[in-house]
Amino acid sequence: MVDDRDEIIERVAEALRPLPDVDAAAKARLLVAVAAERERDRESALRRAGRVRMLRGLVGGAGVAAAAAITTLWVRDARSVRPGAVTSTSVAPVASTVPGGPAAAGQFAATSEDAAASALRPVELVLRAPTAKRVRVVGDFNGWDGARAPLVRDAASGLWSVTLALRPGRHVYAFIVDDTLWMRDPRMPAAPDADFGRPGSVMLVGKP
Amino acid sequence: MNRPRALRLLSRSPAPAAAPAALPLPTPGAPAERNMLVHAARDGDVRAFAALVDCYYARCLRFALHMLGSRSDAEEAVQDTFVRVYKALPTYEERETFEPWLFRILANRCRTIGARTRRRGELLEYGNVPDVASEGRHDDTIAWREEIGAALTTLPAEQREAFLMRHVEDLSYEDMAAATGAGISALKMRVKRACDALRARLTEVERG
Repeated sequence: MVDDRDEIIERVAEALRPLPDVDAAAKARLLVAVAAERERDRESALRRAGRVRMLRGLVGGAGVAAAAAITTLWVRDARSVRPGAVTSTSVAPVASTVPGGPAAAGQFAATSEDAAASALRPVELVLRAPTAKRVRVVGDFNGWDGARAPLVRDAASGLWSVTLALRPGRHVYAFIVDDTLWMRDPRMPAAPDADFGRPGSVMLVGKP
Repeated sequence: MNRPRALRLLSRSPAPAAAPAALPLPTPGAPAERNMLVHAARDGDVRAFAALVDCYYARCLRFALHMLGSRSDAEEAVQDTFVRVYKALPTYEERETFEPWLFRILANRCRTIGARTRRRGELLEYGNVPDVASEGRHDDTIAWREEIGAALTTLPAEQREAFLMRHVEDLSYEDMAAATGAGISALKMRVKRACDALRARLTEVERG
């Protein structure tokens, strides 16, 4: 059997061959989905290795409540010292206590040293993007899922900000502007290992 | 001018990326370079995986658009495909060829999403013919492409799939067999029947 190429079939193929326009936002969503998959793999591996015992404890129950409380307090403080001026990404000052206190940490059968090392720290990310309609942050801390961390716009200053509760340590992250533009935080060092070739930034969240 | 449906839909599609310059990724062209990328991605290099996405995204989208006739369904199929590719890469064997392997996953996703669409009782309307430089084209050309789109939707899915793989994606019958799991004789028969049906319908159209 031979191929049925003739004039009509050639013309059909010719009409169907042009590549479609690629929606950059769709492609960005794809890479975020793959990055989230990768993060799930990492978490599974960590879980198997038993290295996230304390983190799981802090993410649940009293840990969340304590983290939320300390975050709220810190946001209030941060706003009081930020008079609408252009600010860079800011990492919260290191707190001297474990969220929830030693008793809360003890509920999860962890040592105080473990608890201090894993305590969630409030971190505010700020981006100046006056014309943007939507800004999200993706990073290793939210499974590269931008739906979990939309930034809120301050109409007067054009600044977008969000406050996150993060574990101490090194974090890689990026902003997604208007679902299309994947950009690193211009105020923070570029990540040499940015995921999927997209630009990213590094922040170091301090330990108590 | 009363523009045909395909062009009206295309004109509603999202605008191109605001800042494509922010996403500089390699776009390898030669098969040897693509193979290197596949192997690097299999070994965990996320940049190589992103480059593979860049390399194959538009082709995958073209195939999915012609199979499903809906931009959103096609983008979903392509995203699912690359997530599955990422998860399955560790099991990818060097003796396999990447392209048929990729198209096997993509074709499966298109079948699944196509079946879901049919179950919902939605009309499969061919409204996203990939369009390049449509402005200024003669109406006859546009009408011809619309007819091709309509003719494609009348083909049974397995014939449409075989026709597109052979005449649009230029896969060999051996690669098509690897991608579909069907025998070469069966695939040749599917392509022949698809060509016969397209030829019959489009010849009628040309006669007016």
